[in-house]
Amino acid sequence: MSHDIIRLQDVTVAYGRRLAVEGVTTQIHCGSLTAILGPNGAGKSTLLRAILGWMPLTRGEIRIGDSHPQHALPRLAYLPQRLDIDWDFPITVRGVVEQGRYPALGNCRRFAAADHALVERSLAEMKLTELQDRQIRTLSGGQQQRVFLARALAQGADIFLLDEPFAGLDAPATAELAAVLRSWEKQHRTVVAVIHDFALARRTFSHALLLSTRLLAAGPISEVLAPEQLKTTYPAALDD
Amino acid sequence: MIDFLLEPFRYEFMQRGLLVAVLLGLSGGLLGCILVLRRLALMGDALSHSLLPGIGVAYLLFGPSLPALLLGALLAGLLTALGSGLVSRLTRIKEDAAFGSIFLVFFAAGVVLVSKLPTRIDLMHFLFGNILGVGRTDVALAGAAAGLTLTVFVVFYRSIVLETFDPIFHRATGGWGGLTHLGILALCVVNLVAALQAMGIVLSLGLFLLPAVTAYLWCDRLPTMLAVSAATAVVGSVVGIIVSYHAGLPSGATIVLSLGVCFLVSALVSPRYGVIARLLRTRREGKAVRHTAE
Repeated sequence: MSHDIIRLQDVTVAYGRRLAVEGVTTQIHCGSLTAILGPNGAGKSTLLRAILGWMPLTRGEIRIGDSHPQHALPRLAYLPQRLDIDWDFPITVRGVVEQGRYPALGNCRRFAAADHALVERSLAEMKLTELQDRQIRTLSGGQQQRVFLARALAQGADIFLLDEPFAGLDAPATAELAAVLRSWEKQHRTVVAVIHDFALARRTFSHALLLSTRLLAAGPISEVLAPEQLKTTYPAALDD
Repeated sequence: MIDFLLEPFRYEFMQRGLLVAVLLGLSGGLLGCILVLRRLALMGDALSHSLLPGIGVAYLLFGPSLPALLLGALLAGLLTALGSGLVSRLTRIKEDAAFGSIFLVFFAAGVVLVSKLPTRIDLMHFLFGNILGVGRTDVALAGAAAGLTLTVFVVFYRSIVLETFDPIFHRATGGWGGLTHLGILALCVVNLVAALQAMGIVLSLGLFLLPAVTAYLWCDRLPTMLAVSAATAVVGSVVGIIVSYHAGLPSGATIVLSLGVCFLVSALVSPRYGVIARLLRTRREGKAVRHTAE
């Protein structure tokens, strides 16, 4: 029996006077793959950032397990959008994955054997061991995403928040990333991702939040995206 | 040959100039890498120009006292960095435009102030540098600036890497992103001020940027890039000083030119990222396409 690892109670976020997210109350199950779906400007990324503790809430509360997001930082890992990364940066695959240990070690503590072991394990799990000395530009799109997933693993996180992880990936890379996420579900890792493509979400994710500033629907993805349900909640999605 | 290389350094002022250039080459080479990777190269230029009004005000208030002039420059630079940061955070203006606007106002104020000074020689001196004017204070200041920069890079290396490579990750994992950013800008100001006498306002940034872009063309790891950049800056400074002595050229400009040669040669011949390698690759790929078409 799975429990709710992230609980949102009446979560409301405003930019100035405009409400980006309003009155969202829902739970995210431990070990689920949850897609945040909705039209452009629906507040999907804002909700993700709120869960990460980066957005001050106008109203409501978010709990990660039993704590406030700020106190649950080591459990949370964020996968940046591909556009936010400078792929020409002089850094190797291993260099990026080692960054996963920096938050725990701070500036001054040295890498201990356990830290190196965790880096090795994360590289191996994402099948990057052979590529560890490569500069990140020289990788394929799918490999590049795996580098940042490996960094998240090296953080020791168990909740992964991904902002449009499939944006800009070609078909093989998309399939590769979807397979990784599904294998994580079996290992009871929790994934919450902002997704644009409804069909891709349906194939890959177990749960969904359908958002348009307010929460339109939440639950198992087959129910949230059932055509008769969408007819009332989000008819535009049926045109795709 | 040895005589040719060593002759300039028989003079004490040349020794001081060399020492200042080597010290600031070390720290400028490091800081330049961060500026280049964070795309702040032009911001560094803006920072250096904004030092001028500080010098003008200090001269009007305290006369030609070097510590006062340098302190004035330091305050003006920090004010620009802080002011631009505030404007970009509190208004809709982005950071590049904020820096651009503020440095122009500061530079114009500096030109106005300097035009009121009793003597004009100092203006040229601070704009383009003069190695003959490098005194003991400058050596001490350069030593302090280089020492501070090296210490900060050693102690806060991980914060600097994260803030440069992935500031969102840095902040998301509890790092002090804003402070790291401001710290880097403050270090730049300190080093630019220390380079004023030898390099001048307009050229001092050359000691930061040119070694960094040179190293960027050769290196795929940040620690290597930092080392190559600092080494290039030091070597370029020494070569520049020797050439400027024998050819009777202005030292700051000669140092920047010798670093410019390193940069241009690297941009041409770097095996992975140079122009020639790129052209050869395109040509090879073009041939391969023709073959498969046949």
